[in-house]
Amino acid sequence: MERIAIVTDSTADIPEELVAQYHIQVVPNLIMIGNNSVEDGKGMTRKEFYESLPGMKFFPTTATASSGTYQVLYKKLFQEGFQHIFSIHASSILSGIYNAACVAAQAFDDRVHVIDSRNVSMGLGFQVLMAAEAAISEPVENILALLDDARKRIKLVAMLDTLEYVHRSGRISWAKARLGELLSIKPLVEIREGQVLSLGETRTRHRGINYLIGLMHKLGRIERLAILHTNAEADARAIVDTIKLEIRSQPYLVNVTTVIGTHAGPNALGFAAVVS
Amino acid sequence: MNPKRTQLFRELPLDGQALKRLIEAGLTWLRTNQQIVNSLNVFPVPDGDTGTNMALTMQAALDEISNSPERNFGKMAHAVAHGALMGARGNSGVILSQLWRGFARALDSQEILDSASLAQAFAVARDTAYKGVVRPVEGTILTVSKDIATAAEKEVASGQSDPWIILQKVVEEADASVQRTPDLLPVLKDAGVVDSGGKGLFFILEGMVRYGNGLPLDTAITTVQPLAALNFENTMETIEPGQDFEVVVDFRPDHALELETFYKNLQEMGTSIQVGEGDGMYRMHIHVPTDKLYDPIHYTRSLGTITKVAIENLVAQMEEIEAAKGGSRLTMAPVEQGQIAVVAISPGVGISRVFASLGAAAIVEGGQTMNPSTQEILNAFENLPTDKIIILPNNKNIILAAQAAAELTVKHVAVIPTRTIPQGLAALMRLAPESDFDEVASEMTSAMDSVESGEITTATRTVEIDGVQVNEGETIVLHNGKLILAAKTVEEACLGLLKSAQADQFELISLFYGENISRSEVNRIADVIRQKYPEQEIEVKEGGQPHYQFIISIE
Repeated sequence: MERIAIVTDSTADIPEELVAQYHIQVVPNLIMIGNNSVEDGKGMTRKEFYESLPGMKFFPTTATASSGTYQVLYKKLFQEGFQHIFSIHASSILSGIYNAACVAAQAFDDRVHVIDSRNVSMGLGFQVLMAAEAAISEPVENILALLDDARKRIKLVAMLDTLEYVHRSGRISWAKARLGELLSIKPLVEIREGQVLSLGETRTRHRGINYLIGLMHKLGRIERLAILHTNAEADARAIVDTIKLEIRSQPYLVNVTTVIGTHAGPNALGFAAVVS
Repeated sequence: MNPKRTQLFRELPLDGQALKRLIEAGLTWLRTNQQIVNSLNVFPVPDGDTGTNMALTMQAALDEISNSPERNFGKMAHAVAHGALMGARGNSGVILSQLWRGFARALDSQEILDSASLAQAFAVARDTAYKGVVRPVEGTILTVSKDIATAAEKEVASGQSDPWIILQKVVEEADASVQRTPDLLPVLKDAGVVDSGGKGLFFILEGMVRYGNGLPLDTAITTVQPLAALNFENTMETIEPGQDFEVVVDFRPDHALELETFYKNLQEMGTSIQVGEGDGMYRMHIHVPTDKLYDPIHYTRSLGTITKVAIENLVAQMEEIEAAKGGSRLTMAPVEQGQIAVVAISPGVGISRVFASLGAAAIVEGGQTMNPSTQEILNAFENLPTDKIIILPNNKNIILAAQAAAELTVKHVAVIPTRTIPQGLAALMRLAPESDFDEVASEMTSAMDSVESGEITTATRTVEIDGVQVNEGETIVLHNGKLILAAKTVEEACLGLLKSAQADQFELISLFYGENISRSEVNRIADVIRQKYPEQEIEVKEGGQPHYQFIISIE
């Protein structure tokens, strides 16, 4: 039986106990606040980060770990006796992480399988978890097939509290034109095929939350669910209490990584679901 | 005695060229009486003027044929129908274009119009117009079209072979039918008016007959309008030479006014003459060149006592408008082939910017009457690089024109029947350009009713509607399109609306202020609302719309 290692990056938002349980290797991304470069999740909690974000003098920027970091990690894993590595990452359209990992993988023939999850946060995290669960008993081809199938069944939708951060980040073209007119605009977005698509807007938070809940009930049977937020835990809990869905396990409550949160801004709410 | 007399037009054969002159005559007479038709709008709101919409529709019909050498009556009628359809503005304009469409269809390519085919054409016109409306209402232009078709058929059945006599009878019947409209439509009776669309149709037909009989068409000398009907809002798009200044004089004549002489003297000074009367007070409106600026004032002073004079520099005004247009270019949402694009109709620059910021791919501005033509809407469809289009009319008087435009394009168009700006904004927020077309259209349709809409404007006439007594000049409140209140001030109107909409149960109140209210007044009223509704978020935004002090969205 071949030993398979699972690598991802910190945008996957996988709860820590699961990271430990499945021995998932999580490479931190970097966040730059002023001249200080901090590893995602180190030195400052997510809660602290989101509380200080609106008052930050400089808008934080994000960076991926270098190809070198990935290469060192892959080498170490092979030395530990793993025969294959699945390295699963945030959408290549939104981030350079996938690319950095691909470059690093070239040194190891085809023993590193770098996967573009075409998603972020738990939209990526669920793919990593499914691969990790399968890696215990399944061969490489089966895991590849399983990921191909899972990718199509994942839905991630969110309501941002404001357009301001996504506009400042400059990554999403449609967000540019929309700022500066109505103040109270809460964009609804979906990650689909690796891109951030607009699902429209709502002008009140209440209506946005109802929209998210309505959408979850329209998805059909949900296998796994995570409620995502950027420091809006009370609202996220309220959503969990409101939804009437039969899900195998309790939905995860995830305070989203600062690397995504920098672009989404505080008080965003959303969900990632794996649909049957 | 001189035996030579000029041949009357009605003695010539009715061929294609004759139709052209008839169309011109009908249009000219309608324009001359346009303000009368406009004054018949039941709703005392100052946009969607029926007379102007019908005149612009007829103008488009005339433009279509003005250079045509076509001698065939039927073929010319088809060209008229095409022009009318493309230029159709407002509900009355669309129905008028449907009448022409039916009229032309009945004649096919008939060389010369005869009595039997004229009657047939009126009948098919009637049928086509009725089919063009989802729920036909009696007591409107439709009823008038039905009555004149019956009158024409009756004449032919009784052996009448002169189409001119038939047309004469048709005009008489149109007049009588218009007078009967209040008996069929209670809202007209309550407002004390006849149907405006029907009246417009009557003027078009009467203009044709007057021309045939050699009567003048340019001045409605015998009809002085009630003061309330005078609408001097400067909505000109171009200024012709000799229209440098607009002069409006209110005066009380010492002796009964000799109207014919009065008009004749004014015509020597300028153009665009309008005269209104109420309780012995007269209001005179004229456009004059700079060197004749004071002539109308001196002249009216010689007739009686002047109470008020208003002078506006039209040239400077136009330049200002042009400058404002140049400084406000919109960034529209980019659209790619295969994506869903939204076309929004907007009454003002600020509202256009908001629509653009929410992802509209094209904006059609309302133009002179706030009602864009079918052609303008169609152009917006054709200019988009995608064939999946959703249109938001945002005004009940534009929905028909939008539907007409949708039928003229090969593109896949969904008309979401939004009747107010807040409804249009709520619908647009459901735009997901990459999603399934039908799904997005249906989501937009259900989203449009998720907001409460308010409109605050000044009543253009004294009327009673839905049990609300409104006096001309009062501020009126429309809540979800329904007149609910006449108020003394804009502030009182806003508070009345918010109370009626139960704004304290909602989260967000957005105020879009118009071009007819000052910034300081807007801020003052917004502060009053903030104090009264401390729990609600209040957002104030320039709408730039004419006529409406505020358009208000409550959600």
